[in-house]
Amino acid sequence: MAQSSTARKIDEPSVPLEVRRPGFGGGEPPPPPVRPNAQIASNAWLAVLMLLGAEAMFFAGLIGAFLVFRIASPIWPPPFQPRLPIEVTGANTLILLASAVTIRLGLRAIQRGEPARLMRLMSWTAAAGTIFLLIQGFEWFRLLHFGLTLSSSIYGGLFYTIIGCHALHVFGALIWLLVVFQKAHSGKYTRENYVGLQTCGMYWTFVVGLWPVLYGLVYLY
Amino acid sequence: MSETAAAHASHEHHQELGFLRTYIFSLDHKMIGRQFLFMGLLMIVVGGLLAMLVRWELAWPETPVPGLGFIPEPYIYPGDHGGGIIPPPTYNALFTMHATIMIFFVVMPIMVGTFGNFLIPLMIGTRDMAFPKLNMLSFWIGAIATCVMLSSFFVPGGPAAGGWTSYAPLSARPQYTGVDLGQDLWIISLLILGVSSLMGSINYITTIINMRAPGMTYFRMPLTVWSLFVTAILLLLALPVLTAALAMLLFDRIAGTSFFLPDGGGQPLLWQHMFWFFGHPEVYILVLPAMGVTSDILSTFSRKPIFGYHAMAFSMIAIAFLSWIVWGHHMFVSGMNPLLGTAFMMTTMVIAVPSAIKVFNWLGTLWGGNIRLTSPMLFALGFVSNFLIGGLSGIFMASTPVDIFIHDTYYIVAHFHYVVAGIIFALFAAVYYWFPKMFGRRMNEGLAKIHFVLTYIFFNGTFFPMHFLGIAGHMRRIYNPTQYEFLLPMQHWNVFITISALCLGASQIFFLVNFIWSLIAGKKAERNPWQANTLEWSAPTPPPHGNFEVQPVVYRGPYEYSSPEVKEDWLPQDKNLGVAAVRTH
Amino acid sequence: MLQWLPEDVSTFGQEIDSLFYLIYYITAVTFILVTVVMVVFLIKYREQSGRRATYTHGNTTLEIIWTIIPAAILIVLALMSASTWAKVKRHVPDTDFEVGVTAKQFNWEISYPGPDGKLGTDDDVKFDNDLHVPVHKVVRLVIASRDVIHSFFIPNMRFKQDAVPGRQIINWFEATKPGKYELPCAELCGFGHSGMKGWLFVMTPDEYKKWADENLAAKPQ
Ligand code: HEA
Ligand code: HEA
Ligand code: CUA
Ligand SMILES: [Cu+2]
Repeated sequence: MAQSSTARKIDEPSVPLEVRRPGFGGGEPPPPPVRPNAQIASNAWLAVLMLLGAEAMFFAGLIGAFLVFRIASPIWPPPFQPRLPIEVTGANTLILLASAVTIRLGLRAIQRGEPARLMRLMSWTAAAGTIFLLIQGFEWFRLLHFGLTLSSSIYGGLFYTIIGCHALHVFGALIWLLVVFQKAHSGKYTRENYVGLQTCGMYWTFVVGLWPVLYGLVYLY
Repeated sequence: MSETAAAHASHEHHQELGFLRTYIFSLDHKMIGRQFLFMGLLMIVVGGLLAMLVRWELAWPETPVPGLGFIPEPYIYPGDHGGGIIPPPTYNALFTMHATIMIFFVVMPIMVGTFGNFLIPLMIGTRDMAFPKLNMLSFWIGAIATCVMLSSFFVPGGPAAGGWTSYAPLSARPQYTGVDLGQDLWIISLLILGVSSLMGSINYITTIINMRAPGMTYFRMPLTVWSLFVTAILLLLALPVLTAALAMLLFDRIAGTSFFLPDGGGQPLLWQHMFWFFGHPEVYILVLPAMGVTSDILSTFSRKPIFGYHAMAFSMIAIAFLSWIVWGHHMFVSGMNPLLGTAFMMTTMVIAVPSAIKVFNWLGTLWGGNIRLTSPMLFALGFVSNFLIGGLSGIFMASTPVDIFIHDTYYIVAHFHYVVAGIIFALFAAVYYWFPKMFGRRMNEGLAKIHFVLTYIFFNGTFFPMHFLGIAGHMRRIYNPTQYEFLLPMQHWNVFITISALCLGASQIFFLVNFIWSLIAGKKAERNPWQANTLEWSAPTPPPHGNFEVQPVVYRGPYEYSSPEVKEDWLPQDKNLGVAAVRTH
Repeated sequence: MLQWLPEDVSTFGQEIDSLFYLIYYITAVTFILVTVVMVVFLIKYREQSGRRATYTHGNTTLEIIWTIIPAAILIVLALMSASTWAKVKRHVPDTDFEVGVTAKQFNWEISYPGPDGKLGTDDDVKFDNDLHVPVHKVVRLVIASRDVIHSFFIPNMRFKQDAVPGRQIINWFEATKPGKYELPCAELCGFGHSGMKGWLFVMTPDEYKKWADENLAAKPQ
């Protein structure tokens, strides 16, 4: 290629060191051999990583708000507010965590080039996610019934805002998973190229990994 | 590949895409950059004219503004011969929207949107952004946000009137301001804008990390790219926090929660903490790109390498880190624990240091140069001097006891106009500097110089006396200073400021005329009109779809001006001198 | 420029002003230095045909110098400010003179302890916008708000404190000169923000006694 030939020709520009004053002031270190910068990771991977960074900050904001109220109030949850269903949700947590394992295994499978196994594991993941959402929805329904609403108290407000945002994320992740599932089904992913799968997996893992934190704070703390 | 061949290739390329794909839903980073530019310039007119109304009210309170009579009551009360009198609620809406528009819909779209999109791929020598579609989406979502914000002018109750900081509980209950839908639209618009800039920043960061040309190491990137890189990271992490806060505020308004409403057990100060935790990084998001382009322009027109390149890059990184731990300096007298006040004072003082480094390195760049006072150079210098004043006035308020007195006075207004409105200088500098590359034509240098002189004079005439008002204790956000006896002796300054502000506004006409005229009939620009080093200048003018004829290869840093290696006083990054560079002279 | 500062009539105002002056001089000097240097460079190094700019990338010693010096100045400033700040906002000197200031759109409600000598009881004596205090006496302010955030500002006292709904903020000042001073609201609090103001009457002890006997003693509320 044209560049590589030029690349071999260049070397340290012949400027006496005293004029270039290297070090902290700047100046030009000897030029490294010219080659296309090796990509540290695929664009998609980086992009999703950053998306996760932003998401993390978003939830950090909400969690910060939660802590402000939690720490400020001696009795929590406030009196006359229904208790949260700790046990059921605890079980639900396990289900969600399981889904993270399955999707990781799924990735392993495609790396080994076992599409069939991948499909199985992905359907498990999707199933787990759906069950989680259903149980959550059911619990919400009961809580609303017991009179815990957005406006019933700060407690309710925080609960529905934070947990609701998370539920939305799970839902989003589920949609994404189904899209990827479809693609996988039509055999788009090979052991060499499975970026779409990988990124979806990252997002899923994030959403799952976030949950125990929220559970611990909102339900237990 | 020869130039003609490239032109030919790009020519073909254009025929493939129809008008819509080329100008409206373009995937080309350059076109998206231009789109951001036009949007921003449109909005600066709106925001600026709002400011003019604010000024009128402050100088001649409760007198009819000429030609405003057509607006119905209760927003504007009819005055004699076609004039309209601004009532207090409208005044609050005026400065609120002025600030919101200027910050979120002028400086961000232009400094980050336009130059980020246009310059990053060109400067790091790649064909386009990492995610062109995402890029297009980012613009159009931004456009929607803009429309939502503008639409709030036309809803019953008028636009948001709680200040651009929208402190709760004032902003959390309609009856407090009398604004209902307007405030909701304000919130929604910023929520949408959050999505847009999220996409933008992801795109920038990925592109810079992954798509640099061969040889373009991190420390060979122009400082403009560095600044946009750091800015994008700040945006990525700061805006989601605002999003969270806005969501909570919206719930307080429409869903009956009471996060910020004390009578429901809420915490008013929580809003301030969340807003400023975003807000302070935000102000550096605004200023960092300005610093970047200033560095490039100063170096180019001093015909001299930037002084302390690494120091410049690292000081920007330092600013980015520190900007996360200073937000409390907006809340010294808010009722926040005074001990926290002390802590935030310390951090705030420290964050002045990296800025100091930048200022001094700019001076160092001028030293021993061969300075060409072109219009971009003049505006860049204007930015430096304004930033200097604004920064120094920041030190007053960083000192907690002093801030007790000047908080919420015009001293603050003076401070932040010198910095944020000072950015407008860097903005003009950048437009004058890259206009040839963007549109293939030169702007009129004479008009540009007139524009600079007038803008510089009237800018200082407008904002410097605000320090005097601040010292006299003149509060912000009041619509009629003459209601206060202790301010009466200062009123003549308000008049002075307003006249100067009107002239400032009028001087911008020179820019508008020059800009539009040059678009249509400016003289054709050659490839490298400023004899600059960075890669965008070795691409054809204007760069075709895909930017470069051949993948450029980078051999050196961006600021090798007056290098002894060559006889001309510039040395493009991608110029290959071969083994034995002949040393002329 | 500084002569526009409102006349200072408080005990701590002097310290605040001297800090203001100090920073004023530091920044003024910095500003002049930087600007002069800049202008000199612009003239001295303006473009001349045949001249070539000096080719240098910077100088580490310089970098260090102009990092250390501002840092030092700023740290010292911070330390000096901290003590004054503590005096004004953190340590409220004990006193037997207590006044309540409750902000509401768009008034200052000033309340004095009634016969029972305690604030916040319903025999408090209330006034709108007029605050009467004796000179040379530490005044303990209990600042609160009914609706939105306001800010209690006495320019001549160099005093400012936001009034936050749902909170009682304790602050203090001590007047050194009898007179009539304006007390505007400094935080945007709605369409009536501009014009929300009251008056502070600083009186000589016997004047104040006279006023108190007439207004505070047995005032039918
Ligand atoms: C681009 C935007 C921008 C920038 C860069 C800055 C920069 C700084 N700002 Fe500013 N600020 C705003 C935008 C900005 N600000 C806005 C919009 C508000 C108002 C928001 C609102 O309430 O509406 C605000 C408000 C604001 C406040 C709150 C005031 C109040 O409400 O009571 C404070 C308080 O500390 C502050 C401090 C500072 C400091 C210390 C810096 C420093 O970073 C400045 C550093 C630079 C220099 C110091 C100059 C160069 C240095 C030298 C030449 C070295 C020598 C100097 C010394 C030795 C002193 N700013
Ligand atoms: C990037 C940010 C930015 C910019 C560029 C500006 C630009 C200007 N601002 Fe802005 N301003 C803010 C950000 C900004 N401001 C913020 C954050 C606040 C705080 C709001 C709050 O308290 O919540 C504020 C508040 C604020 C106030 C205080 C209001 C109050 O507290 O009561 C004032 C008053 O003078 C003011 C004036 C001006 C003026 C005269 C300009 C001028 O520079 C504008 C000049 C530009 C034009 C005029 C438009 C272009 C000209 C034309 C299209 C030609 C035609 C025009 C004429 C012939 C007149 N601004
Ligand atoms: Cu009360 Cu402003
Ligand atoms: Cu700040």
